[in-house]
Amino acid sequence: MQSIYGDKRPALERVLGLVEARVDDLRRQMIDRYGADPVEHCLSRIKTEESMREKCRRKGLPETTESALGVIRDAVGLRIVCAFLDDVYAVRDHLCAAPGFEVVDEKDYIRNVKPNGYRSFHLILRVEGYFVEVQIRTISMDTWAALEHHIYYKKVTGGPASLIEAELKRCADELASTDISMQTIRDLIYSTEGL
Amino acid sequence: MKLLYAEDTADLNRAVTAVLTMNGYDVTSVFDGREALAKLEADAFDAVILDIMMPGLDGIGVLTEMRRRRIFAPVLLLTAKGEVDDRVSGLDAGADDYLVKPFAMKELLARVRSMTRRGTEYLGDDMTVGDVALRAGTFELSCRNTVRLSVKEFALMQVFAASVDRPLETGYLIERVWHDAPEADADTVWLYVSYLRGKLRAVGSRLSVEGARGGAYTLVSA
Repeated sequence: MQSIYGDKRPALERVLGLVEARVDDLRRQMIDRYGADPVEHCLSRIKTEESMREKCRRKGLPETTESALGVIRDAVGLRIVCAFLDDVYAVRDHLCAAPGFEVVDEKDYIRNVKPNGYRSFHLILRVEGYFVEVQIRTISMDTWAALEHHIYYKKVTGGPASLIEAELKRCADELASTDISMQTIRDLIYSTEGL
Repeated sequence: MKLLYAEDTADLNRAVTAVLTMNGYDVTSVFDGREALAKLEADAFDAVILDIMMPGLDGIGVLTEMRRRRIFAPVLLLTAKGEVDDRVSGLDAGADDYLVKPFAMKELLARVRSMTRRGTEYLGDDMTVGDVALRAGTFELSCRNTVRLSVKEFALMQVFAASVDRPLETGYLIERVWHDAPEADADTVWLYVSYLRGKLRAVGSRLSVEGARGGAYTLVSA
């Protein structure tokens, strides 16, 4: 069977490389300037054949290259996990300012938290004609998202489900609070006044 | 412990002020209702003693106005013997206790102790201030988003919420929030004010805390 990406896979890999290079560029700059890496780790991937086809089916789209690259926007994806809250926005600004990167859409789920407590900054870019989905968040936000994913509570029905949802949101709100405290501590250390 | 005492009878005012001061209270005494309100605007008190019968603005007028301005310090009303209606309307207006004149100094002191003992317990309810909700049961600070505060952050936010738009001295905040933490100093207060600033921004509130390290801080509502 022919790939759902047709003959575009090398182009997708090239685009992924361009975005990664832009992230690395910021990391080097900030290490030189502040001695600290804003990025804790960065994951990137081209969506697998299998899960792209599955997503087309789920969305009722034909399993074509046009659906995979022209309609669905996460064939190329990066998750950038930052040390501090401000680093999330530094990465966002640096990506948006890159020549040749067009911002198609952005959703700030840090300032507008999802009802379940999910926090992350989502960015859709277009680079050389291809969509790239970028998720930027702090270690705490990433921890929460990863652990929440491991809990299959959505199968539970009735009373306990709403308790679990409320408790997961409580955890998210506590972690968010810690993120702000850590950012505040760092700001105080770097500020002229110091502690 | 800071007390505000409003009583228009000069002799009584002097005598009670002397006894309270002797018992370790930091007393600000005034002789009429308007002066009392001005002091309440300018400073924070742990408790307020108001004589009901004062020329101009009476005790109930002061009480009503201070509650309207969201000043939640506990209030003890001094009422004349037999004036049941005064006592009822005083309690309804938000007084915490009353004492019938003439009273024994010993009883006044006991009532002040009882009223101030509650301290932060008095603030143990849910509150809203500006665009923000504070939920005592869960330590939540909510506006567009919600975060969970630490115990001290929450206590500090409650103290600010009870005195919106009024400057609160660092020393007063230490006394109110860190009375059980002898190591707390001006830097501690400054750090926690900084936490609250970040968290107010994070929930999308328009409230802000103004003031510089070591000085007075004000929770500003607009």
